[in-house]
Amino acid sequence: MNTDRFDLGGGEPIITLRDVAKSYWREALEIPVLQGIDLEIPVGAYIALMGPSGSGKTTLLNLVAGIDRPTGGSLEVCGHELNSLDDDQLAAWRNAHVGFIFQNYNLVPVLNAFENVELPLLLTGAGRGERRDRVEEALALVNLTDRMGNYPRQLSGGQEQRVAIARAIVTDPDLLVADEPTGALDAKNAEEVLALMERLNSEYRKTIVMVTHDPKAAHHARHQIHLEKGVLDKAVEVNR
Amino acid sequence: MRWLALIWKSLMRSKRRTLLIVGSLILSVFTVAVLQSLLTTLNAVTNNPNSSNRLVVRHKSGLTQMLPRSYEAYLRQQSEVETVCALQWFGGYYQDPRNFFANFASDETTLFQTFREEFGAAGISEAQIKDYLRDGAGCIVGESLAKKNGWKVGDVVPLTGTIFPINPRLTIRLIYKSPKPSDENVLHFHYKVLEEGVPRMKGLVGSFWVRTHRPEDIPRFIERVDRHYANSAYETLTETENAFNLAFVKMLGNIGAIIQGITAAVVVAILIVTGNTMATAIRERTTEIAVFRAMGFSAGRVLGLLLFEGVLLVGVGGCLGVLVANLAAGAVRASLGMAMPFFADFAILPDTVLACLAGAMAIGLLATFIPAYAATRRPITEGLRAVG
Amino acid sequence: MILGLLLSAPFLAYLAWLIWALVAYPIPLGYNLRSLWQRKLSSFSTAAAIALVVGIFVVVLSLAQGLSVAFVSSGRPDQALVLRPNARFELNSSIERDRMRILKVHPLLKRDAEGPMASAEVVVVKLFPMADGTDTNVTVRGLEARGITLRPQVRLVQGRWFRPGLSEVVVPRKMQGRFPSLELGRNLRMGGRDWQIVGTFDAGGASYESEVWSNVNDVMQAFRRESYSAMLARLESPERVEGFLKAVEDDKRLKLEVIRETDYFKELTKAGDPIKILGNLITLILTGAAIFAAMNTMYAAVAGRTKEIGTLRALGFRQREILASFQWESIFLCLTGGLLGSGLALFANGIQTGTTSFETFSDVSFAFTITPGLMAQGVAFSLVMGLLGGFLPAWRASRIPLTEAMKGG
Repeated sequence: MNTDRFDLGGGEPIITLRDVAKSYWREALEIPVLQGIDLEIPVGAYIALMGPSGSGKTTLLNLVAGIDRPTGGSLEVCGHELNSLDDDQLAAWRNAHVGFIFQNYNLVPVLNAFENVELPLLLTGAGRGERRDRVEEALALVNLTDRMGNYPRQLSGGQEQRVAIARAIVTDPDLLVADEPTGALDAKNAEEVLALMERLNSEYRKTIVMVTHDPKAAHHARHQIHLEKGVLDKAVEVNR
Repeated sequence: MRWLALIWKSLMRSKRRTLLIVGSLILSVFTVAVLQSLLTTLNAVTNNPNSSNRLVVRHKSGLTQMLPRSYEAYLRQQSEVETVCALQWFGGYYQDPRNFFANFASDETTLFQTFREEFGAAGISEAQIKDYLRDGAGCIVGESLAKKNGWKVGDVVPLTGTIFPINPRLTIRLIYKSPKPSDENVLHFHYKVLEEGVPRMKGLVGSFWVRTHRPEDIPRFIERVDRHYANSAYETLTETENAFNLAFVKMLGNIGAIIQGITAAVVVAILIVTGNTMATAIRERTTEIAVFRAMGFSAGRVLGLLLFEGVLLVGVGGCLGVLVANLAAGAVRASLGMAMPFFADFAILPDTVLACLAGAMAIGLLATFIPAYAATRRPITEGLRAVG
Repeated sequence: MILGLLLSAPFLAYLAWLIWALVAYPIPLGYNLRSLWQRKLSSFSTAAAIALVVGIFVVVLSLAQGLSVAFVSSGRPDQALVLRPNARFELNSSIERDRMRILKVHPLLKRDAEGPMASAEVVVVKLFPMADGTDTNVTVRGLEARGITLRPQVRLVQGRWFRPGLSEVVVPRKMQGRFPSLELGRNLRMGGRDWQIVGTFDAGGASYESEVWSNVNDVMQAFRRESYSAMLARLESPERVEGFLKAVEDDKRLKLEVIRETDYFKELTKAGDPIKILGNLITLILTGAAIFAAMNTMYAAVAGRTKEIGTLRALGFRQREILASFQWESIFLCLTGGLLGSGLALFANGIQTGTTSFETFSDVSFAFTITPGLMAQGVAFSLVMGLLGGFLPAWRASRIPLTEAMKGG
């Protein structure tokens, strides 16, 4: 294990990957997407995963987020060995520990902003009052309190993404996972979203792992990890 | 917002689609409810609890053959017998042959005891019974028949005979209420009128309706009577009233099979259409389902939500369909009741309602299950990658 | 009739336009058909549902038709039935012997080498056991040998006709399946004596195929009848029936009623009316349900292809061409269901069943006959469903703006 190759700032590791590999099968052929990934990501890190198309960055993100399983190796994320969790346990784990931010926001069109943010809380067993408090808190953080009753079709792209971020943080997870968060946004909105994410990382100590092509987004991260053909290529500290 | 709200909003995702499907379901369930109720109405005819003490004695060859009136004496002598009422279907009409109602020439002295349940023994006026007994040209009619023709006690009803070549003019002496609507669509007059008007009917009658003291006596009685008259000039066939009615119902033919056939076809059609709709609805939400699962909704929970959605959809359609059927029951009674006496009692029974609703829910469950299960089995990453 | 034409006029006009559009416009039908194939599950489900409704429609129609045919094909316009006044049906009627004697020699009756073409007949109803163990009433007709001549659609299939005075009967072939006791050579017990079944006959679907025949005097004796029920007579021509009617009804000695044979059976057909009405009602309701389902499928199809439609328009297709195109797609979809359904209905073909006419108080046998005509009606029906169900979605499709083509996925 050569973690010394990738010095990501030290501190308690929130994500530990040992010899992680992922392959897909097309007919009888095994197509390896990730091979021999060894990585430690400390709490409070802000990582941008980068690399050319097909490098496996999204796959790595999926594994870390617990929405896919490796074909080899082990991952320990947020204190749990993911391979030891069955599907239902993994779902519960995600609800408690991970917040998702997608390129296409993926808000439920038939629910308004408040209800969209409330969704993950429905699984926590929290009562109506508590849920309302936490939703309002999250929406306040992303500065969309006045849009609580609006439906996604009534919001701009940037606003939608901010609602999605509010949804991602409402359960107060340790880890935020983002797949091209600014991919569908114009420059101004992208800037707003990135500023928000930076705040979440610096002020609220959220660990963020983000896949992006956008150099501007990558610049907001504190470390960039490059992947090349399924293996870790290099890690770069960002100069702000 | 709790689960129900979430499911409801998901259904409202495409209002037009939900409305069209619910519309489809309302019509289909309505049809099934009405058809099944037709069957239960017919079955009820043959399971009349009031008939437990009554029998019919008629000619072995069928109702169009007559028995001698003198048989009555023998029947009365039997220890099991409480009363005997001679009854002959007259089959006349009032003004228009299409305004069908049952009319009989019957023994006025034993009519009311023999059919006490039907004549609503409690509410019947003793004075009016006496009037009827006294007036040889009198008749009694059921309340709904009287209402339909605007008849009152004292009115004269001229009947035109079809089977028998007489046109008796009868005066209404009594109007009675009956628990079953079909029993009120009836008119009775004195048997003497028929005997005196139609020479060939002298001393003859189509059937005897016998009331026994206890139901247990019936099998013995039947056996004795038919044995007594076997190989005589006029052989008898005695059966319980329910069996007698059953024969009439059977005359309708294989209605049961046809109705069940149509019901089956409709059920299959509903299943297919609902299944398709739910499959489409679920396919549209492939990404959304993946996002739910990413957020932490377990596969089981997502499956449950989708199934509930399907059941709710079909359930709403089913409830409304049954409601409409209930509202239409009156119309069915009026129209079909004209054609066949039994259908005047048409009603949508609670059992039928429950069966239709339960069936609808089961269909919703079944139809939704396959696409929902497939959706929850799909890997999250695949769902997120999908377009639209 | 006029109302029907008026109502269907806009309908037919639209259909005519659609057909013309198919020829005149460059409608991308291939695209529509391929789209239907691509959304296989949706297309097949909708077609299947429509097939079921059309199947029910065709079967119900054949039921109604079977009932009609059973009665209508039984009469001739140049023959008349003489009955007791107000009797309405043979079973209720009676004609005394002396009046029958007068009738038989009436000058207006047609004559052939053997004398006047008239048959004195008696009709009684008797319970017969059916294959399923229950009894049902069956018409037993006593007629003269002449009566067979008067009914040319009747032909002997097996054995021979009955002879007078020997208690012989002939039975319809179609009844043998449902009534096991009616086997050639076997004895039948009626009216206290044994009768031998000497032959079987066919009557081309007429109501006689629900009757057991024997000699009129034999039947009258066995069932203790003093009078005949009716007389069937042939006149020189259909126009002569009116004259015969007047002559008989005016004759004070007779006091009888005359009805043209075809009219008599038309009355009987009405027995099937409640079943017909019920059947039609059910079909109508289910059609509504099917149209909703078809509409749903088409709306979903349109919604899923907004980009394609926008593109088509950008390429130069006009709105009315889009309308016609999607309307045809819906028609194809429903026609497929219609063809399937009509085919499905064939499974019911030939099934013999029966019901009881309350008028004649006896069994009426008939078969479900699924004719090409009925199947064509079923297919036409599905065409209507396709038109109605597809119109609104097609209209919607034609209204989709070109800009949809440019929008991101």
